[in-house]
Amino acid sequence: MTVVVSSALDILPKSNYPGNLERGWNDPPQFSYGLQKAGTPQRNLLNKRAAPPVPGTGAPPSMSPSSNPLAPPPCGVATPPPLPARPPLGCMATPPPSGPMRSQKRADSSQSESEPDVEVVMSVLKRALVSCRQTVKDQVCNDMGKRLYLLQDSWRTGRLSLPVRRRMYTLTQELKLRHWDVADEIHLSLMIDHVTEVGQWMVGVKRLIAETRNLSPELLEPLLSPEGPEQKSAAPVQDPVGYDQDSAEPGQGPPEAAQDLEGSNQDPKGLDQDSAVQNPVSHS
Amino acid sequence: MATYQEFIQQNEDRDGVRFSWNLWPSSRLEATRLVVPVSCLFTPLKERPDLPPVQYEPVLCSRANCKAVLNPLCQVDFRAKIWACNFCFQRNPFPPSYAGISDVNQPAELMPQFSTIEYIVQRGPPTPLIFLYVVDTCLEEEDLQALKESLQMSLSLLPPNALVGLITFGRMVQVHELSCEGIAKSYVFRGTKDLSSKQIQEMLGLTKPAAPGQQGRPVAPQDATATCRFLQPVHRVDMNLTDLLGELQRDPWPVPQGKRPLRSTGVALSVAVGLLEGTYPNTGARVMLFIGGPPTQGPGMVVGDELKTPIRSWHDIQKDNARHLKKATKYYEAMANRTAVNGHCIDIYACALDQTGLLEMKCLSNLTGGHIVMGDSFNTSLFKQTFQRVFSKDYNGDFRMAFGGVMEVKTSRELKVCGTIGPCVSLNSKGSCVSENEMGIGGTSQWKVCGLSPSTTLGLYFEVVNQHNAPIPQGGRGAIQFVTQYQHSNTQRRIRVTTIARNWADAQSQIQHIESSFDQEAAAVLMARLGVFRAESEEGPDVLRWLDRQLIRLCQKFGQFNKEDPSSFKLSESLSLYPQFMFHLRRSPFLQVFNNSPDESSYYRHHFVRQDLTQSLIMIQPILYSYSFHGPPEPVLLDSSSILPDRILLMDTFFQLVIYHGETIAQWRKAGYQDMAEYENFKQLLQAPLDDAQEILQTRFPMPRYIDTEHGGSQARFLLSKVNPSQTHNNLYAWGQETGAPILTDDVSLQVFMDHLKKLAVSSSA
Repeated sequence: MTVVVSSALDILPKSNYPGNLERGWNDPPQFSYGLQKAGTPQRNLLNKRAAPPVPGTGAPPSMSPSSNPLAPPPCGVATPPPLPARPPLGCMATPPPSGPMRSQKRADSSQSESEPDVEVVMSVLKRALVSCRQTVKDQVCNDMGKRLYLLQDSWRTGRLSLPVRRRMYTLTQELKLRHWDVADEIHLSLMIDHVTEVGQWMVGVKRLIAETRNLSPELLEPLLSPEGPEQKSAAPVQDPVGYDQDSAEPGQGPPEAAQDLEGSNQDPKGLDQDSAVQNPVSHS
Repeated sequence: MATYQEFIQQNEDRDGVRFSWNLWPSSRLEATRLVVPVSCLFTPLKERPDLPPVQYEPVLCSRANCKAVLNPLCQVDFRAKIWACNFCFQRNPFPPSYAGISDVNQPAELMPQFSTIEYIVQRGPPTPLIFLYVVDTCLEEEDLQALKESLQMSLSLLPPNALVGLITFGRMVQVHELSCEGIAKSYVFRGTKDLSSKQIQEMLGLTKPAAPGQQGRPVAPQDATATCRFLQPVHRVDMNLTDLLGELQRDPWPVPQGKRPLRSTGVALSVAVGLLEGTYPNTGARVMLFIGGPPTQGPGMVVGDELKTPIRSWHDIQKDNARHLKKATKYYEAMANRTAVNGHCIDIYACALDQTGLLEMKCLSNLTGGHIVMGDSFNTSLFKQTFQRVFSKDYNGDFRMAFGGVMEVKTSRELKVCGTIGPCVSLNSKGSCVSENEMGIGGTSQWKVCGLSPSTTLGLYFEVVNQHNAPIPQGGRGAIQFVTQYQHSNTQRRIRVTTIARNWADAQSQIQHIESSFDQEAAAVLMARLGVFRAESEEGPDVLRWLDRQLIRLCQKFGQFNKEDPSSFKLSESLSLYPQFMFHLRRSPFLQVFNNSPDESSYYRHHFVRQDLTQSLIMIQPILYSYSFHGPPEPVLLDSSSILPDRILLMDTFFQLVIYHGETIAQWRKAGYQDMAEYENFKQLLQAPLDDAQEILQTRFPMPRYIDTEHGGSQARFLLSKVNPSQTHNNLYAWGQETGAPILTDDVSLQVFMDHLKKLAVSSSA
């Protein structure tokens, strides 16, 4: 399932990192998951070739005789760039087209106001784990628990970078909202962009997302309860109607944004879908 | 009336097909005189977001040796509910489900816009995709760590129900049992002993133990899904497998001074292939081999463990001095063929500074449609991102990979198929449309392509068999149908059918029409594939001579000239680029082995014979764009005259992206003008090629090397070695002018090449 959800992409870094030039000869730059995902159709398709020399004229490309053929190659440093002579900035006749790199700011650093709280993040994950314990095998739950502990430990001992901490926070918020696909996307982005930091424990979070999305709505209630590290799961007696609608099909529906995207992608052009796709010929 | 260019583009977009000739000469004799055979590049699974698959079975012609699929070219009698096959003219009744068919109620496959159509069909229970990692542990610590992380990462990219397995090897081969509980167990094989598939399956406990006294009885594989502890669903074992990968250590056997580590690649692959053969034959599976050096022991060894004996070079091979070459090649070829029979594919990810034996092992990927990726280290973005892109997804969220493809070609009577060049094996299906005359992998009308991607492209070569002076065949058009059955990555079985037709033309009276129907880009790539195919078995100079000969003959046929007057020689627009393509092809690493190791040549050729037309053409003649203050970026000649001081050049060779800053630009950059507010436009100029390069980097598979260099920089050689050396130290009269950069080479320039070509073309003795 490819779900491109704006809220997920907003928090992904759009920058790219240099390759490993120590180890790889002319290593290309490394792209973040978000940038690869957002990969727009190419704006500048560089697939043209210059017209060949006119057939029949085998002469080398014309070389206009210079006024001073023995002069050394032009030396640029002495010559200032020709720019000041040009029209003022902004009226450049032919500014080079700008590519994507300029427009993409470091999204991660732009939202640097709040430092995510480890307790808030862990409490959501732990409550999700508690929910799972009712139906999921003990051994799997213990395995997930072990990894959540690893996560908590890495965070508390300062081994997680800010982008990872921030994205983990967003992941748990999405988990609370039952946006399984978004949460899963964030997990994937973390695995791809920061595998060294998250490789050992992220698989537990991934499993947790997969297991909670399979739980029945009742079992999920503890997950929805308000913030607080140790929320009692017995609390929510009043049934929030809004959530019920939301959870009509647990583990099924990607958020609306995603559905829209999909729908528009799959428009079968010029085809009566019912008759053509399901049946060779419709029997009316 | 559309131009041929529009027609060609439209056909490529719709059917994934590019023909060398878009009008076909109506007799065998005339066809051979055209020099370039009637042939096409065909991309069986070209992405078609606008083409929804239909969910029913294709309707087949009832003639037993035809079985062509109902298509828009068939004549239909709606009243009698009968259709005539356009290949064998058999009249077929429609099946009962088509009872409602009428002029105004036609099934999709009869509509002209569905010349390509895809069917989803029911064939047995769906089976999950299988990924078997075969990991070399004789790596440096840093490389092993990076590889482990990439493998852990890949578990997040795999679909949850995919089956995954792990084999590690060094001096020994370990097959890891994957379970969610208990202690990690593994089965250990010696790396020196070649085992049969049956022995491997017995040792892994995959077969019921044969009762004593019943030795000769074949052992049936058990219900694999239930019992195979080595291949388990990702969602069940991901946590344990993550730990298992995390705990992988370098091969513990000590490596003495002056020795290579003992690496049992041959046996490891044998175990992997045997494991899949016994458990999941004919099911989509990828063996992914990760190696950091050459096989050094056991069957399939490429070099001994003595460091003082270097791995074979082209020189050794030419002197017949490569000790292990033949034996190893034979070993891997046998294994590749077995894998192809099972319908599995093998990827090779080779990351090392020295050669790893790709020359011997290339067949594993070339015959099964697997990938080869070559890098310096697993800890590079080149490897990491290329590996990620193996798991890239399409507009539907499905993997861009397909398995177990079988492609069949059907032709109308005047045509026969000579063969295919691409990542496939022959299925030895002899039929009436198979030509005696082989080109590429021939003698069959069916090929197996075990691993496919939407860009996998085959070159297909045909022969016109209509006799000279015979009338233009009935209907005026010849037709070809491609039927590709495959396992989609979502596990559905699908059949893609593409039916195309082209008009016949009388080559005597309509030669100009035929000439204008020439697709020189397709023809260049198709001829290049033939050349590369020959280069695998013939000496380099012979291949070049053959290519030259073909080019001269083509120019003799279509050039306009007065006899013995080279200056009168002219080519029409539809052939104008062709000699240039051939010039660059002659210089390319696909035909020149100078300066490349045998592994590198194998790697370049591997990619060349599977990419689509656009990418192949970039490989033959790299693309060069120029950035300046004089206007938007523009394509410029791949010529030393394009290297100017006030330009930035961006060159794409497919395997490398080079950004070259001209002398003046480099000096301005050094002086830091880009950091001054009043020179914002200079900053933008520097940025523009970076942005464009980035767009290429983001889509290319495999990731290219990325070279940022400038005038006088040592890496500028990547550009200088590719451009046409129109100015060299030998024609000094241009020295010192702003007309480009002289190249220090004795290579022949395009101009000299063209002069010779003209001389030979107009000569009556040539």
